[in-house]
Formats: sequence, structure tokens, C-alpha cells
Amino acid sequence: MNQTLLLLIVILPFASAAIMGMAYLFTSLRDERIYSFIGIATPVAVTLFSLILGVQMLSNDTTFVIHSTLFEWLHIGEFQIAFSLMADRLSAVMISFVSLIGTLIHIYASGYMRDDIGYGKFFAYFNFFLGAMLLLVLAQNPIIMFIGWELVGLASYLLIGFYHQESGNITAANKAFIVNRIGDFGFVIGLALLFLAIGDKGFGFDAIRAHISLVDPGLLAPIGILLFVGAMGKSAQIPLYVWLPDAMAGPTPVSALIHAATMVTAGVYMVARFDFLYELIPSVGLFIATIGIASALFAAIIACMQSDIKKILAYSTMSQLGYMFVAVGLGAYSAGIFHVFTHAFFKALLFMGAGAVIIALHHEQDIFKMGGLKTRLPLIFATMLVATLAISGIPPFAGFFSKDAILVHAFAGGHIYIWAIGVLTAFLTAYYMFRLFLIVFITPAKTAHRTTEVGMSMKWPLAVLATGSALTGFLGANEAYGGSNLFGTFIHLGDRVHHVDHSTEYLLGGLSVAVALAGMMLAYLRFGKGASEPKADTPWRALAINKFYIDEIYNALVVVPLRYLSILFDRFDTLFVDGTINLMLLGYRGAADAFGTLQNGKVRYYALYILIGISLLSLAMLRMTRSPL
Amino acid sequence: MNMILTLIIFIPILGALLGSLVRASIPLLRLLAIVTSLFVLGLSWILAWYFDPHAGMQFVHIAPWIQNYGITYYVGVDALSLVLLLMITLIMPLLYLYMWREKRHGYWYNMMALQTGVLGAVLSLDLILFYLFWETMLLPVFIMIGRYGNTDNQYNAMRIVVMTIFGSMAMLFSMLYMGYLFFQSHGFWSFSYNDIASLSLDPRTSIVVAAGFLLAFAIKIPLPLFHTWMAPAYGSSPTPAVVILSSIMAKLGIYGIWRFGFGLFESTLEYYVTPLIVFALIGVIFYAIHAIMEPNLRRMFAYSSGSHLSLILLGLMLENVYTWNGSLYLVATHALASAGILIMIGMIYRRVRSITIDDLGGIAQVAPRFAFFFSFFALSIAGLPGTGGFVAELLIIIGAFKYSMIVGVFAALTMIAAITFVFWMLQRTLFGAPSTVTAGFQDLGRIDLLILTPLALLLLLTGLAPSLFTQLFEPALLEMLQAIGRYR
Repeated sequence: MNQTLLLLIVILPFASAAIMGMAYLFTSLRDERIYSFIGIATPVAVTLFSLILGVQMLSNDTTFVIHSTLFEWLHIGEFQIAFSLMADRLSAVMISFVSLIGTLIHIYASGYMRDDIGYGKFFAYFNFFLGAMLLLVLAQNPIIMFIGWELVGLASYLLIGFYHQESGNITAANKAFIVNRIGDFGFVIGLALLFLAIGDKGFGFDAIRAHISLVDPGLLAPIGILLFVGAMGKSAQIPLYVWLPDAMAGPTPVSALIHAATMVTAGVYMVARFDFLYELIPSVGLFIATIGIASALFAAIIACMQSDIKKILAYSTMSQLGYMFVAVGLGAYSAGIFHVFTHAFFKALLFMGAGAVIIALHHEQDIFKMGGLKTRLPLIFATMLVATLAISGIPPFAGFFSKDAILVHAFAGGHIYIWAIGVLTAFLTAYYMFRLFLIVFITPAKTAHRTTEVGMSMKWPLAVLATGSALTGFLGANEAYGGSNLFGTFIHLGDRVHHVDHSTEYLLGGLSVAVALAGMMLAYLRFGKGASEPKADTPWRALAINKFYIDEIYNALVVVPLRYLSILFDRFDTLFVDGTINLMLLGYRGAADAFGTLQNGKVRYYALYILIGISLLSLAMLRMTRSPL
Repeated sequence: MNMILTLIIFIPILGALLGSLVRASIPLLRLLAIVTSLFVLGLSWILAWYFDPHAGMQFVHIAPWIQNYGITYYVGVDALSLVLLLMITLIMPLLYLYMWREKRHGYWYNMMALQTGVLGAVLSLDLILFYLFWETMLLPVFIMIGRYGNTDNQYNAMRIVVMTIFGSMAMLFSMLYMGYLFFQSHGFWSFSYNDIASLSLDPRTSIVVAAGFLLAFAIKIPLPLFHTWMAPAYGSSPTPAVVILSSIMAKLGIYGIWRFGFGLFESTLEYYVTPLIVFALIGVIFYAIHAIMEPNLRRMFAYSSGSHLSLILLGLMLENVYTWNGSLYLVATHALASAGILIMIGMIYRRVRSITIDDLGGIAQVAPRFAFFFSFFALSIAGLPGTGGFVAELLIIIGAFKYSMIVGVFAALTMIAAITFVFWMLQRTLFGAPSTVTAGFQDLGRIDLLILTPLALLLLLTGLAPSLFTQLFEPALLEMLQAIGRYR
């Protein structure tokens, strides 16, 4: 029963994606109701199944794991990989919120995509994504996980480039796939090394956990780093983050589901999945945390200077992902996953709210062309307020508890720098989020604009997510805040525990809140009354507005040289390789010409040849007769 | 049962002969070609059904031929040739379907002769017989390019023939010399694979003789520096010939090294291993980068093909259980994907009379089905999970790390190599706004779907359940590796 459910969770979305895709491609069926019914029924069913599994996890002890094997995928020598799924507590939590938020965003999308010519295609891709994400999460071994990992990338590519008539969207989609593949290059090497070290004893996560101590300690650190390189790509961390802001070219539900709530957190999930590995290499963990905190700060700085509502949110996602990597890098796996969990609610909400605003304003994305929408879009205003407070870390909203847990852990572990930068980033987060919120909803608009009504299907998912953003924090509240860290206890990962007394906890929490309030205050002072676009009047500002020119640098260092190299190779072929061959042919022809001139038709030359011939023959005969034979 | 291979080899050319005897009309020729190729396909499936993965060489058929010189008609099939056989017999009927509206008689005759040539080369176990088929398959290609090709076709046809014959001459000398050596030591002539394999040559002779074979195969694959016939030939070929060049003939170069290189010169090959690995690694990267700026689709996939064949060769030379299985799997899956993409490029040419990327664009908007299949094949060439190419590349990468860290890192670059050109190509071909050329682009018709669907489904199946296919050859490759001491 459980095994069947587990299989269905993965197979259903793929099956419905295939059915809808075929229907869209090969029939003239364009009825939106049919596609939205199939498209939404699937995640609803998957959510139900996930909850059934999750409830059983609650009532059993931590060793309760559901396995389900479909068939032997590949068996070459010692390389034995089964197409196998596994639900333990960590993956059960992941699939529950992925499918729940997935369902809400599907419902929202049924309104957002209304009257779009590619409606059916959209839901086919969306279900396909869901299947790939669930496969990634439920994989029993890293190889199957990697398949899901790449397939979510494919879904992301397809959906970023959903409006493929715009060539620019495809450029963004290509960038996403290629940058992710560069990360996967590292990931695959990590997997290959891990396999060669202990793969002969089985390559399921359980087997790897059991035999990890047999790996040469010198090899563990490279493996850990290489796997993390994959996470850098997928979860948009320095230096492989460049695709995420551009990925906002996709329709807004895509940004909400894939590029905020689920796919981009796969890297964090992967590190938590390999907690037993990273526990043995704390120095690599520190490296991960450093990359994380650097990404968090870097993205927050850029976010302060952007004017496209979706790009601000994209940088904010990158920044929050940085916090998550700080957590998993420093051994607070459950805190990291908890932030993944709460972030999924409020970030999905922010994107969906932004999408509703964009739709209401006829596809306007520049916040400086919005303003004063509080009265026109009251429900969106209210839900966005909840989400903004949540991400800024104001209690009792969800973000406070999850972010605070990470910062406290960093502080207690003695990583004061990381903690301090984390607090600074929290300040910037509150600043840029309230900047966005104020400019869009409060500050009076400079130009009047007409708004269209936003449909119900787009509204009530916002309300559900707002409830989630407000309340889910209590699931992970620790003793100091009157909770008992239900979330962390439940998912049961190999956390490094630091004891922190309540007074320190209050002090740090109070500081974070104060900093966040200061950020909000600053935003209010600067943008509360009137807002204008950021001007590049100082070099530093120009740098931040232009995103530190990282895209241009990558372009000059990688893309352009590759193209020149390609042209150079072509020259090499024609000049050198063909040149050599032609030279040989030339020699051949030269020899032919030389022999040709001998045969010139003049009798006196022929007489000469005869003379030479006879002389040589005579000489030869003379030598033969002189020989002692 | 031991006639089955002979039937498989000769039925296509018998069909052609029959057609020429009765001066067949085009519909009859089409019928002949399709029926014979389907019959051969059926036979090869029966063969695969009765094939025992643990039994080595099977369905052997030996008949005396030129007795004075010990030349025999000697055919047989093992796991290695079975994979190629299945691949060829599957692709041929699809190519005939693609040629459905072809009005030129010679086109059909040449293709049928070509089928016999490639099948014979894969199944022969007598050196001279192999050589005969090896050259037999070149002649129809020469005619196809020279007579039915485009843009500098005659020059490019000459070029491919001169360069490949240069290699095969070297191979012929090596074969004759080995036959002579056998005559010297045994007193009678033989060119049979087993007899020649039993010869023990002194190292110096062996190195020189092996070079003859390797040169022929290196040009056929082709390795970098032996490759300048490739892109022009691909560019000028009509589609059916280009599919055979990429999906079948290039793979025969690999097959040759596998069969004759490892079979006859196993101990000598170690002198060549390092340079060949270096060549192969350079090839993977060189061809991929070369493809980036290539403006012609067919030539672009010539380079793409070169990149993958270099990877296959790399796997072959690394000689371990992962790379060998990966390489053989890639032989099959790349053949499928490459056939798919090249046939579709042919379909583009038929519709808009151009395969220059700059002329295209926006096809996805006017022909969504076309775009779907085209991107599927392109992505499977890029090794996307869910297609067989991913499995093969993964195995080769793992095996490369088993060999050495540096080779492993370079081999893993194949993950990035293909995507550097595939995605940009897709963008300019399928996406954006339709150009004046592609504005009226017709979507896939029934016959088109009939050609492409089997290829796509099979590629999907090779990616989803590779075990189904690998169990056919994995035991045999293990035994071969055990025989040369590379697997305990």
C-alpha cells in the first residue's frame, strides 16, 4: 500500500504531463477546463498521498522508512543501481510542502495563464516539473537523484523559455541550463569518485551512510566540495548564480514554484541528504557556509538597487538560499531545512502577489511605475504585508523563527563573522523588502494607471499561503520561544548541537528584530513619501545597479573566447590540416610534372635516355662478370 | 539457423539485383527496399532472441571461397556485432521510409547495396571478406555524394574516397602481410580471424602492422587531424547517406578497433593506448568547440558526431568494465539520436531548401511537433537524463575516473561539451520569431512521425531502463575484458 503510494507520487505527475503534452501536441484539444482539471487534480492527489505517508511517519519511530523498487535500472560490473524510491522523515517533509505549495501554485496558474495560447503546454510542463522534483527528493540513491536533478533543470529551461517567440527568453533559458550543467559537471565528478570509493558495497543512501567511514579521508573533502558545486548551480550561489535573475523571464507562477519555493532549494536538500558525509568534513562545511553568507550579502546589496519587481525577489531568493547554506554548512541541517520550509511559503506568496500586481497592471514589472495599490488590491496588499514581515524576520511570522535559528547556531558555533554578516544581511533584507512593499502599495503613484480585476483562483491561494507564512514558524520555535522545535525533532537529522541559554537567545533574537525594524525604518524614510528610480551617480551605486558587471565579466572570459576558439579551429582545419594534405598532393603532382618533362617528344632526349640506359646496363654487367662467382 | 547471417547480409543486395533485372518502377523499388529491410529487421530480432550473451561467437557460417589463398566466407555474430547489427537493421527501414517520395532509381539501388556493405563488414570474420565489404560500403557513398549531393558534391565525394582509401590501403597491406606471416609459419594460407589471432608476432612487426589497421579506423571515425573529409562530406551528402556516415560507418571504425585492434593486437595496442587516449580527449573538446560557430546544421552535427565518437574511442581505450559498456551503449544510442537529428535536418532541407542556421528560426511557433522531436533528439545528443546517451556518458565518466583522475576530469567535460553548441543552435533554429524562410514551415506529417517515433521511443527506453539492453552485451564484454586481463 505504502509502496504503491510512493510510486504513484512520482509516476502520476509524469503520466499526466505525458497525457497533456500528447493531447496538446497531437490533437486540437484546447479546452482550458480539461487541462486545468488534469493539471490540478494531479498535485492534489500527490499532496494527499504525501500527507498519508507523512502521518505514518508521525506515528512511527525515526527508523521507519518506506522503500519501493520499480526495477533494476543498470547493472554493469559492480555498478548496480535500482530505480528505487525511499521516503524517510526528511523526504516526507519535503514532498509534503512541495506538493502542497505546488498545488496552490497550480491553482493560481490556472487563473494567471487564462486565455494563453499555450495553456495546455504550460500545465504539461508544470506537472513534469513536479514529477522531476519529487523524483529528486524521493530517490533512494544519488544516481536517480541526479536524474531528477537534471530533469528539474530541463523543466526550468522549458518554462523560462515558455514564450519562445521572444529570443531573449530563450537566451535566459539557455543560460539557466548551461550554468546548471557546469555545476552538474562537478556533481557528477563527485558522484563518480564516491562510487569508485565505496560503490561496490551498494550505492543507495543507506549503504553509503553505512560505509562512508571506509572512504579515504583525503578523498572525502573533494567529494564534498564537488557535490556542493552542483548545489551552487542549482541553488544559485556564488559564482554560479547568474542564471537566476534572468530566469525571471518565465511566467510568474514558474518563478514562484521553481525559482523560489522548490527547485532552487534542491541544493540545500542534497547537502542535508548527505549530512553523514558533511559531518565528517567540517572544513568543507565552513566553506559552504562562507559561500552561503557571501551570496546572501551580495544578493541583498544588489536587491537594494533593482527596480524590476521579479528581479528584486529573485535576488532575495538567492540571499535566503545563502542563509540555508550557512545552516547546512555549519551542521544545522534541520534549521536549514526549516528555513527551506518557511521560505517556500512566504517566497511563493511574494511571487504570486507580485504576479497578481503585474497582471492587474497589464504586465508592468517596474516598481517605480506602480504605487498606491493598497486600496485597489486590498487582499494582495494584506497578504504581501504578511509575507514581507515574514521574510524580514519580524515575529511571530515564520521567517523570524527559521532565520533566527540559523543565526543563533552560527553565533553559538563561534562563527562570529558569519553571524555578523547574517545580521547585516537581515538589515538589508528588511530594507529592500519594505522598499518594494512601500513603493508598490503605499507611496502614491506618479502616473495614474488602470487596474484589472484579479480572478478568485489567483486570490485564495494567496490567503492560504499567507496563513502558512504567519503560522508555520511555530512548528520550529525552540524552548526559548515556548515551543519545542517540533520540526527539527521530527526530521531527525545529524545536527551539530550547541547549547545556548535563553538569555543569549533573547538577546540575539532581539538584535535581529531591532536590525530588521531599522531596515524598515530606513526604507520608510527614503521611499515612504515618494520614490524615484536609483541613479548611478556614484561609482559604488553604478556597480550595484549593474550587478557588479558579473555577467559582462563571464561573457568576456568564457563566451567570447569560446566563439573565437571555434573560428580559430576552423582556420586550423583549412590552413594546417588541409594545407598539409594539399602540400602532399602538390608534391605528388610535382613529381608527375617532373616525369612529364622527361617525356617531351624530342628524339635527341630519347637518344640520351637510351645512352644512359645502355651505359648503366653495361656497368652492371661488368660488375657481375668481375665478381668472384 | 547458420544461414541466417548470410540471409541478413545478402537479402538487401538481392533485392536490388531483382529490381534491376525486372527494371523495377519506383513504387516497386520502394516496396522491395522496404520489404527486404523489414525482413532483415525481423531476422535480426529473431537472431537477438536466440542469442546467448554468454556464448561468444555464434551463428557461425564458414564456407571455402578462394581455397588457394585460404580465403573463406566466414561470418558470425557476438555481442559486439549484435549491437551494431540491431542498430543498422533498425535504421535502414526508417531511411527507406524517409526516401518515400524519392524518384531517382540510383538512389534506391545504392542504398540497398550500402546496406549489404555495412552488414557484411559487421559480420565478417575473414580479413579479406571484411576488407571486401569495407570497400563495398564506400562505393555507394561515393555515388550518393557525387551524384545526388549538393554544394561541391563531386569534389567532396572525391575527398572522402581518397582519404578513406588511403587508410584502407594501409589496412589491406597489413592484412596481406599477416596472411603471409601465417603462411610462413604454417605452410598454408589463411585469413580467418581466429587463425590470424593465433599468430604471435614480434613486437616491432606487430607495431607496424597494427598501424595499418589503426590508420584505416582513425580516418573512418575520424580522429582529429584525420577529419577534414568529414564536415565537407556531411555537408554535401544527401540525408540517407549522411545518416549512414554518422550512425553506422563512423561506428564501424570503432568496431574495427574493438574487433581487430583488441582481437589481433591486444598486447601491441598498449603502445598506442596513451596517444589514442590523448587524441580522443582532444577530439571530444575540439569538435564540440568547432561546432559552436558552424553555420550549417549538417556540418555542425558532423562535428558533434566527431565529438561523441572520440568519447566512444576514449571509453574503448580505457579498457575497463564501465567504459567498455558505456562505449558500446553510446555506439547504439548515439546512432539513434544522430539518425533522428540528421533525418530531421533533411526534413528541414526538404521544406525550406536551406539548412543554414541564419535562415531559420521560429520553427517552434509554426510547427510545434517538429520542434518537439527536434529538441528531443538534440537534447539526447547532449546527454540528457531519460535518454540513453546519459547512461553511456555516465558509465564512461565513472570508468575514466577509475583509470586516472586527469582523464576522468577531461572525460567529464563531455557533460558541458555538447551543450555549448546544442542550446544556441536550438535557439536560432526553433525559437524566436519565424523568418521569411520558415514562415510557412509545414509540421510533421504521418510518414514523418512514423520515421521519428520509433527512434524517439527507443531513445527514451534506453534512458529509462538501460538494463533491458545492457544485459545483452554486458556478460560478453566482461569475458572479453577477463581474456585480456582487465577484469578479475
